[in-house]
Amino acid sequence: MVIDKSSPSSEWIAALRKRFPVEAEIDRVLTRKMQRRAGPGYMPLPLEVLVKGVESLLRSELQDAFEISEAKWLSGGASKLQMAFKLSWNRPGVGREKTPMVLRMEPAESIVETSRLREFQLIKAFEGVVAVPPVFWCDADGRHLPYPALIYGFAEGVAKPSAATSGVSGLGTHLPTELRARLAPQFVGDLAKIHRFDFRNKDLSAFDVPSVGTTQCAEWGVNWWERVWEEDSDEDVPLMRLCAAWLRQNMPVLDRPVIVHADYRLGNFLFTEHDSRISAWLDWELGRIGDRHQDIAWTTSRAFGHIADDGKTFLTCGLLPETEFLEQYERASDFKVDARAVHWYKVYNDYMMVALLFGTGYRIAHGGKTHQDVLVTWLMGIGNMLLEEMRSLIEEAV
Amino acid sequence: MQMRPPLQIQSMIKAMVDVVLPALDPHNKLAQEQARLIVGMLGMMAQQMPLQYRFDCDESARLISFARELQQFARGGSETGAAVAALAEQTGNAKCGPEVSTSAPGEIERQVRELRRLTGAVVTAVFHDGEPAARVQVGKSVLDMSKAQLLRDRSWVLAQGWEPDPASVPPIEQLLASPTEPAVHR
Repeated sequence: MVIDKSSPSSEWIAALRKRFPVEAEIDRVLTRKMQRRAGPGYMPLPLEVLVKGVESLLRSELQDAFEISEAKWLSGGASKLQMAFKLSWNRPGVGREKTPMVLRMEPAESIVETSRLREFQLIKAFEGVVAVPPVFWCDADGRHLPYPALIYGFAEGVAKPSAATSGVSGLGTHLPTELRARLAPQFVGDLAKIHRFDFRNKDLSAFDVPSVGTTQCAEWGVNWWERVWEEDSDEDVPLMRLCAAWLRQNMPVLDRPVIVHADYRLGNFLFTEHDSRISAWLDWELGRIGDRHQDIAWTTSRAFGHIADDGKTFLTCGLLPETEFLEQYERASDFKVDARAVHWYKVYNDYMMVALLFGTGYRIAHGGKTHQDVLVTWLMGIGNMLLEEMRSLIEEAV
Repeated sequence: MQMRPPLQIQSMIKAMVDVVLPALDPHNKLAQEQARLIVGMLGMMAQQMPLQYRFDCDESARLISFARELQQFARGGSETGAAVAALAEQTGNAKCGPEVSTSAPGEIERQVRELRRLTGAVVTAVFHDGEPAARVQVGKSVLDMSKAQLLRDRSWVLAQGWEPDPASVPPIEQLLASPTEPAVHR
């Protein structure tokens, strides 16, 4: 039976939901995506429309008068629309001020379909733990804006040195040696803080907690991305079929649930150039309560690093050799790193990335669903390298 | 016929670089980024278009060989049996060898898509109800076939600059068989 994935039937959507059980909030956003799939593509939005949407949201949140000014588009990131603006308002505990802010809003369909509520809750939870931008308001269901969105404070800093060159999304950035030496300890230390964070007394109602001593965490993850592959993919990849089977046969048992950032890498933090301090961790949208090895595997991916000047040492995220990264992480977190679990999550992460790049990337660009289809199409080129990494990792394991 | 895609692409790149990019609002970061991506994408198209047909023919031959391996190894229950039967029918009808050189580009592309779909279905089926030995052999076949194909796929997009060690990836022209020659499978 040929499925029309660009106009999926309610029966097919229901069958996928049953076949691939995931966290409740993940199920909600994936189901919403499929129910809207046949709808219109992304239409260019004038800044004025977004400003009006923000005004509507703020009228529902603020008692005092406010004014929005200096709205402009931002680039950066492959998944969401971003508008910078300034808000003149009576800030609680501060008084009247003009605050630089960013609206982060979904397009009609995103290369990664996630929950703004989860992102909002995670950033809120980490205020004062690691550097995060102040997050103010969330329009989780798009009641005020054309699509779901959140508003956070404009964080000071840069994602790469002002003079450096890099590819899109901060990939391919090469940092000077001196800057690497200053950022690397913070980079490792912050990951340890995130994983040691006690999340149980925080408002993380949009997250489910997987059971310790079981493979439920891994299974939710595989279900999530295999569901996305089924929902979005066009041209099949036999290696993806083998990978899904391999992942299910080798799922690791969870020893301790932690907050997983899920996109912890160079390009996703800002630092201030005058003192080389990490000033904000960004892009929490894929975060979950899960297994620390997911982050460790992600951060050490080939896609996010490069070969050092000696021509042979691979630098994790372009910052430090992998062995040093792992040793420093174990010291900082007091958690052991299980090489088998890292190996499994490397395969898992590659599977997720290929599902997003080749599956979702194709589907949304084909449907004209985003404000940057050309970027989404460009990024598909990474998928082949990740498939080769996946292939090598499975071959090593068997 | 003078107006061919290589000239059209070259002219579009020049227009973007000489006229459009300098005229863009430097504060409109989204427009700046996308204009540069358009230039990059056009440059890739200029490299890829002359080789697209050879690339598809090469992949098609590789997939036919892979499909025959799967039919040889895949043994199991009803799901595996049905998937293998569908693949055998497609493989039997597939254009290969000298026939390929007379096939339209769209026909070869469709053949590649069908072979990908049906070989993928066999892999999934074997891991649902296949015999243990079949799983091992099918797994090995997928890994071997993917190794050869992915080297070509990575070379195809080498100009994008994603590879951490680009010198380890040969140029695509060296990896592709011509449409009338058998593809090198390993």
